[in-house]
Amino acid sequence: MKLFPQRISSHLLNSGSKAATLLSFLSIMAISTSVLAADFSVTGESSTILRFRTTVDSKDLYPAYEYLKLNTSGKLSDGSTLGLYFGGWGRVDLGDRSTDKYSETDLQYLYASYRLANNNTSVNIGRQFVTEGVAAEKIDGLYVRGDLIAGLSAAAFVGKAVTTETDLQGGKAIYGTRVSLSNPNIYSIGLSALKSESSQNARYREEEGFDIWLHPVKNIELTGRSSYNSITSNWMEHSYTLSATPLKNLNISTSLNSINYTDYFYHMTTNALSLNNGFIQPGETMNALGVAASYNLPKNLTLSADYKRYSYDIAGDADYYGINCKYSSPEIVTAGFGMHRMDGSTPRLRYLETRLYALKKIGAFDISADLFNIDFDNKISGVKDSFSLTGSGGYELNKQLKLAANVEYSRSPDFDREVKALVKLTYLFDTNIGQGGNKSEK
Amino acid sequence: MKSKILILVLPMILCCLYACANTRSIAVTHPEAVSGIPDCNECHTDSYALLNHKTPDFFKRHGFYAGTSRQACVSCHSEGFCADCHAHKEEIKPADKFADSPERMLPHQGDYISQHKFDGRTNPASCVKCHGRQNNQRCASCHK
Repeated sequence: MKLFPQRISSHLLNSGSKAATLLSFLSIMAISTSVLAADFSVTGESSTILRFRTTVDSKDLYPAYEYLKLNTSGKLSDGSTLGLYFGGWGRVDLGDRSTDKYSETDLQYLYASYRLANNNTSVNIGRQFVTEGVAAEKIDGLYVRGDLIAGLSAAAFVGKAVTTETDLQGGKAIYGTRVSLSNPNIYSIGLSALKSESSQNARYREEEGFDIWLHPVKNIELTGRSSYNSITSNWMEHSYTLSATPLKNLNISTSLNSINYTDYFYHMTTNALSLNNGFIQPGETMNALGVAASYNLPKNLTLSADYKRYSYDIAGDADYYGINCKYSSPEIVTAGFGMHRMDGSTPRLRYLETRLYALKKIGAFDISADLFNIDFDNKISGVKDSFSLTGSGGYELNKQLKLAANVEYSRSPDFDREVKALVKLTYLFDTNIGQGGNKSEK
Repeated sequence: MKSKILILVLPMILCCLYACANTRSIAVTHPEAVSGIPDCNECHTDSYALLNHKTPDFFKRHGFYAGTSRQACVSCHSEGFCADCHAHKEEIKPADKFADSPERMLPHQGDYISQHKFDGRTNPASCVKCHGRQNNQRCASCHK
């Protein structure tokens, strides 16, 4: 199952300063070329958020956040597109400055992208989120994909893994590929692989995967993936879903998930999900078999029901089942109701979960309410009902500027009573020169 | 020697296969403006119709589509849309950050401090994609 040679010279991947210089150069190229392009657009979103909350030890916190997303792209005369994309946030606590953690920043993504008008060719360089088969990774590096002949396509990425090393070290160099064969309306079969090395060039992650999408007839679709851990020499996961639409408004789906814990939870960076923490049981296997059905009634009403059976080799089994009802008419009201029962083998896993929400727009105003309740069969820390009630209101000052606020009141086994509030000012900006369009941030 | 020849020949074969493909790229930006939760069936009759976001299990399947046909996703969604949930570091859970949009299928509804113990017990693998190797600093507050 090894699709890669044992090792790639990781020093090539760890040259951070060279990569930063290259990214800067490409960014300048991307911006200047975009500016010179016939169709040029700059879109973005700024969200300024102020939160109010109290910690368990009764300390008041007033963190203020600024989230910024910026997209620049230009269409060149040959139909290709060049863009630069940035997302990041910063936070400072306005109340508590007693520790050195009163401020924080994070670069979510920053990459230059070049897309050709043919062969679905993309070349991205910088910090980005790569999703190719077994890989769903943030990397600082290079990503390339393109179509080949006869329905084949290929993608590859190489770079440095972007991880948070809360308790344990993450991988350093990371690289991977996916090759697929597809007929756009009938099937797609993909093979993918991912390899990551630690700072000592040791084997950190080696995963291979198979994915399939089948659409043999109009009303049936099969999606699924299996992934294999080459270091532990066993399957990590099988995940498959079969969906059918026998009637125009009726959708039925069945799903099968199987997880081998020893192979799946291999080399995490937090103790919470590591195999030696006492929570994740080594040797455990989870199999989940689910079925769901939904029916769209006229007048924007959708009814659905679902059932999932969790089976374990070591722990006891559990059943999760319930119904959902949703009404969606943005001009009038959007509302939803859901009720689910969890029947597990331990007292903590026997509860009734209920959710009720509604959203109403009145001109430039919108108001919403959201109730989430869990009714335990047996009290946990003296609490029978855990619930949170959130009320929100928003006002669009104009098409670009919106002010929103929400207050949440909750009670749970962990907090007797907790009140949290959030105020958010969102500014959307969109500059188009020529015929360039924009994309949704929501 | 054989591996060196392979390393030289493979890129040449790939270049030939690429040059002969001549497929038309998916639109960088969706030609029609889409708002709300889209039902792709309204316009598409081909495989794009299957991306109907209103089906009850689309939220669970969206990761599969992202891993196999990301080009279709980015026609409508910017990278920032993914980063709202799939963050490197994040301090505000998505359901709090977008509490004014309760109709969105955002993870971690309600009081998730209590709820995560149940989800972590029934299916801890569901935590891994977002918290296994990133965005897990808050875990250390309790999980020493």
